[in-house]
Amino acid sequence: MKKLFAMLLALAMVFALCACGSTASAPAAAPAEEAAPAEEAAEEAAPARTSFIMGIDPEYPPFSYLGDDGNYTGFDVEVCQAVCDSLGWELKIFGVNWDEKLVQLDSMECDCVWSGMTILDSMKEAGYVISEPYYDNTQVLVVKADSGFESSADLAGKIVAVQLGTSGEALLGGDLAELAGTFGQVLTCDSFLKCFTELEGNAADAVFVDMPVAASYVASHEGLSIIDENLGAEQYGIAFRSSDAELCAQVDAAVQALVADGTYAKIAAKEEYADIVNNLLFLSK
Amino acid sequence: MSLLTMILKMSEGLGKTCAIFFLTLLFSLPLGMIVALLRMSKVKVVSAVTRFFITVLRGTPLMLQLLAVTYGPYYLFGANVARNKLIPVVIAFSINYAAYFAEIYRGGIESIPIGQYEAAEVLGYTKLQTFMRIILPQVIKRIMPSVTNEVVTLVKDTSMAFTVSYQEMFTIGKQIANSQTSFMPFLVAGVFYYLFNAIVDYLMGRIEKRLNYYK
Repeated sequence: MKKLFAMLLALAMVFALCACGSTASAPAAAPAEEAAPAEEAAEEAAPARTSFIMGIDPEYPPFSYLGDDGNYTGFDVEVCQAVCDSLGWELKIFGVNWDEKLVQLDSMECDCVWSGMTILDSMKEAGYVISEPYYDNTQVLVVKADSGFESSADLAGKIVAVQLGTSGEALLGGDLAELAGTFGQVLTCDSFLKCFTELEGNAADAVFVDMPVAASYVASHEGLSIIDENLGAEQYGIAFRSSDAELCAQVDAAVQALVADGTYAKIAAKEEYADIVNNLLFLSK
Repeated sequence: MSLLTMILKMSEGLGKTCAIFFLTLLFSLPLGMIVALLRMSKVKVVSAVTRFFITVLRGTPLMLQLLAVTYGPYYLFGANVARNKLIPVVIAFSINYAAYFAEIYRGGIESIPIGQYEAAEVLGYTKLQTFMRIILPQVIKRIMPSVTNEVVTLVKDTSMAFTVSYQEMFTIGKQIANSQTSFMPFLVAGVFYYLFNAIVDYLMGRIEKRLNYYK
């Protein structure tokens, strides 16, 4: 009964959101859906779509962030741009609210969520279509270099900061709940910058964060170090609406084409992506 | 997670929400009066400086003020960030609400006709006596509806404490919403805020009625 009510409520919200966004996005989405049954040629379905709205977390370097020139950039953005170029789509970028990303995807505000997004079983269960995983991520603990903490066991009874809505937070509440239980407190902040400010301002003893974020922050800020202990492996993928399996396959194929012709490796070789290049699954294969 | 666990988990944070609410009222109501009196000071410099501070506090978002009070000392002086977030949260809320209350008090005080001051002077009241015994009781009656307005807003504004990672009810709701990929916690939060405000509304109505002793 409760579940039914929750589902009805969610449905009502989705409809309400659809109604708001319908004028802008419905005409773009409808032809693609009609074309779906005629499934032979992806090439033929492609002309129906002229633009592609990429949903990103605008504060997730180096995958997606606001560049020095004021335009969104990052590894995911560059790959998506290359995909759109090859398929003849116009790329539009939409900054999602990370906590509500899947709701915004459902409400047609964007066509995919592609921004260093961890693939969760709950997403698949909810029916979202997920691309091939392209990145293998690990979580690490960042501490002050002079703190003397050398492993997660040293943090028993200490305060550990984690960003709300990240895979780190999910891990501490799920697979790593036992470890989280030994911490004195898990402090959830709404941005990773705040997590690090809590650490540097001595209000937290460690930050639990994605490896690439940790590496880039520690490189640019003195006095911090990463505990050499990989916690919880996870993979990144692109999320599409449940009705967009076709679109997902199209994007997957386009990415593979970029891998094959070397464009993908060229993007990954850029200096600003040095921290993540080793974890890219398509390049290690 | 069942609805009941959700509600129980979120009501754990309700105590912290109440702490922000009551402590803010405790500090901002008297502080507002001091600010209002400074604002009406005959010394031009004092009133101009007070006025400037009021425009800053009313003209910038409370969320920024929360960030400034919590993390500002660290970025400016390298001071430690407070471990107990209730302290910076209550400081930021109290200062912000004092600015609003000050303007409400000022409106109330200035609405009393000058003739009453003159009459009191003729009857031999000192300035302090005039203010405490004649002006203030009337002011309190007049400003009650505006104060209720602010108090109701304060209940809802407590949700902003999440921005500095203070684990009040709404922060916990967001965490549950995230881990359960469910909208239910937001609905629960809405009901909590509504009930809280229904109580506030009832109590303020009672006080207003009590104050209507001449009608």
